[in-house]
Amino acid sequence: MDFAYSQEQQMLTDSLQRVMLEQWRFDQRRARFAQGKLDRQAWRQLAELGVTGLMVPAQYEGFGETPATMLAVHQVLGRGIVSEPVIASAVMAVVMLSDCDESNVKSSWLGAHARGDAIFSVAWQEEGERYGAVPLTTQLRREGDTWLLTGRKRHVWHAAGADAMIVSAQLDGEMALVLVKSDVLGVTMDDFPTFDLARCANVAFDSVKLDATALLARGQQAQVIFAKGFDYAITALCAHACGAMQYLIEITTAYLKTRNQFGQPLIHFQVLQHRLADMLIQQELALSATFVAAAALSEPSAHLRSKRVSMVKTEVANAARYVGEQTIQLYGGMGVTDELEVGDYFKRLVFVSSMLGDNNFHLARAQTMSVV
Amino acid sequence: MDLSWSQHEIAFREQVRDFTAKNLPADIRDKQMHHRRLARDDYVRWHRILAAHGWGAPNWPKEYGGTGWTGVERLLFEVETFKAGAPRLLSFGLTMIGPVLIKFGNEQQKAHFLPRIINLDDWWCQGYSEPGSGSDLASLKTRAVRQGDKYIINGQKTWTTLGHHANWIFCLCRTDPNAKAQRGISLILIDMRQPGVTVRPIKTLDGGTEVNEVWLENVEAPIEQLVGQENEGWTYAKYLLGHERTGIAGIGHCHRELAILKQMASQAMASGESLSLESRVMDQINQVEIQVLALEMLLLRVAADNTAGPGPQASILKIRGSELQQELARLQMQIAGPDAWPYDPQWMEQDNAFHGPGGEFDLGAAATYFDLRKTTIYGGTNEIQKAIIVKQIIGV
Repeated sequence: MDFAYSQEQQMLTDSLQRVMLEQWRFDQRRARFAQGKLDRQAWRQLAELGVTGLMVPAQYEGFGETPATMLAVHQVLGRGIVSEPVIASAVMAVVMLSDCDESNVKSSWLGAHARGDAIFSVAWQEEGERYGAVPLTTQLRREGDTWLLTGRKRHVWHAAGADAMIVSAQLDGEMALVLVKSDVLGVTMDDFPTFDLARCANVAFDSVKLDATALLARGQQAQVIFAKGFDYAITALCAHACGAMQYLIEITTAYLKTRNQFGQPLIHFQVLQHRLADMLIQQELALSATFVAAAALSEPSAHLRSKRVSMVKTEVANAARYVGEQTIQLYGGMGVTDELEVGDYFKRLVFVSSMLGDNNFHLARAQTMSVV
Repeated sequence: MDLSWSQHEIAFREQVRDFTAKNLPADIRDKQMHHRRLARDDYVRWHRILAAHGWGAPNWPKEYGGTGWTGVERLLFEVETFKAGAPRLLSFGLTMIGPVLIKFGNEQQKAHFLPRIINLDDWWCQGYSEPGSGSDLASLKTRAVRQGDKYIINGQKTWTTLGHHANWIFCLCRTDPNAKAQRGISLILIDMRQPGVTVRPIKTLDGGTEVNEVWLENVEAPIEQLVGQENEGWTYAKYLLGHERTGIAGIGHCHRELAILKQMASQAMASGESLSLESRVMDQINQVEIQVLALEMLLLRVAADNTAGPGPQASILKIRGSELQQELARLQMQIAGPDAWPYDPQWMEQDNAFHGPGGEFDLGAAATYFDLRKTTIYGGTNEIQKAIIVKQIIGV
């Protein structure tokens, strides 16, 4: 093992960090959210830095990077609580697409994604289910040379900003994954702001006609591909949370040094020093757990990979909530106002608890993974 | 020792339950149960319904228009009305300045202000914290200067909950700038309907604006509006903060939210099953339920101890009550799951029938969780409460 960044990794994370400081400041993030839709300019900027091509295989104009690089990049993006669909699109969807057989779809869409011209979302959650991947009601059936897709998906992360969606559906009692362009006839969306200054949508598919190449995978292969994309996305989300935690601890420490009560800076009070120490311990172990997850992404056993990733998610979610809640507590009254950026970080860290599955879901998922 | 409810207590609870069921307006109940924001008039209506029945001041003695209830009766009243979806009774008049006036106010002040508190003719707010004086309240800087038969007041107060609805503010002001921190502070009643009083809302994490900053610029208060003795305000402030022993734990709130949590769990589905059948979820609900019951028992023990004045047990109640309120909100948000994600503060202002894209209780789940972070901060942070416990109970 070697924890030192390569020269490329160092340059990439340095330049991303600079852009976070210059372009993803508090006021800028809020202004983008207030626009009510994805800022394509911001997306292109991330693309120029290599974020959108990071996980795209080299033969499709990408960098084909490792999980370790992915972790390093999303940690920096977490420091700026980036609200653009970097995890949904540049990790989850890209990893799924990369493992599909349809090479025409791959070459056109993955290349476009690497260039920053295409954005994806993944639509898998449904009514009656919370986080599980098994499609309950969305149906895909063959009609001549084409496919017909009917059903409803809920809570689709960044759906309104995406050009195409990977949709899970039932096909002859099996799971299938299809690629659906967002603007085709029969696709309708209810788009909502989410509490963490991002967006999600409920999406309806009303007899949507898809051509033959839209089917990405079915049966066992679809399940395998979905699980892999899911695990990569969770790991990236954990790295994002770690970056956000690091930043919060830094600015909270600075705040406690300047805020005076009882004639001295708050940082002088031992109870608050210990709280900061606890936050730092949580963050360091969450980051180490995320390294465990990133290492597990290269496991030959998919079950072991998923078990590790699920359990890491619960650890990171707990740490994220602890650090977020305690930051608010240490800021006191100012912490509960909407006037400081700590509130936005806190909300993102709370969102991490349930995005891509809450603790109960992941404890159950880990339990079902038979690992020798 | 007898750990069962007496016949009288059971009958009393029935009486409260029955009265609330018959008299609580349905629109107010709906707002409360769905975590919507109550309007000023919602509070006023409920206060006056209670006042008309003689229940307007549950914690005051009968001679001042109160109910004269025991601590146990007050607790039963709080739990039953909250569970039924009634709004909280505004503490600023009833449990803060009211008891201070009863103990330290002069006859004129009592005669004028107390009945108006019961009927909510006056809406009080609290002028304690300042931008530079939070946990270290005694460092406050708002100045009151005596000029003939009145005080001229200048300063800035903050975190004044519902101050935008208020017409009176009880203010801690420095009247002797040369005295040491706690000395030289006076408690003054100020009419907010006068030039020089500016109220600015502070937007909070949930997108709401329940708290405010209040600026006082050359504001006047006749010397008759000084409470007790000049420069003795700290004594009254401490009395005020320690007085409300049962309310601060939020036991009624906890019971109501626990009931809502259970309802949410039974309605939420995962893999075709109600979430209330999932053992991981049930464990969490059962655990918080027993913690609420233990908190209630602690409250009853404190309430039964009529000999003790307001004491440091209040700190234990505040710490545990605030933690449980936060935990219940967290669990509700967890049960709401992805349905807690969509959130727009404007939705909270919409008609009661609007539930957003999720289920009945999902719209306010995240907002409530964010909003209730305040409970471990306000009324003296939990860190300050622990310091009080160490000093006053453990005796270090």
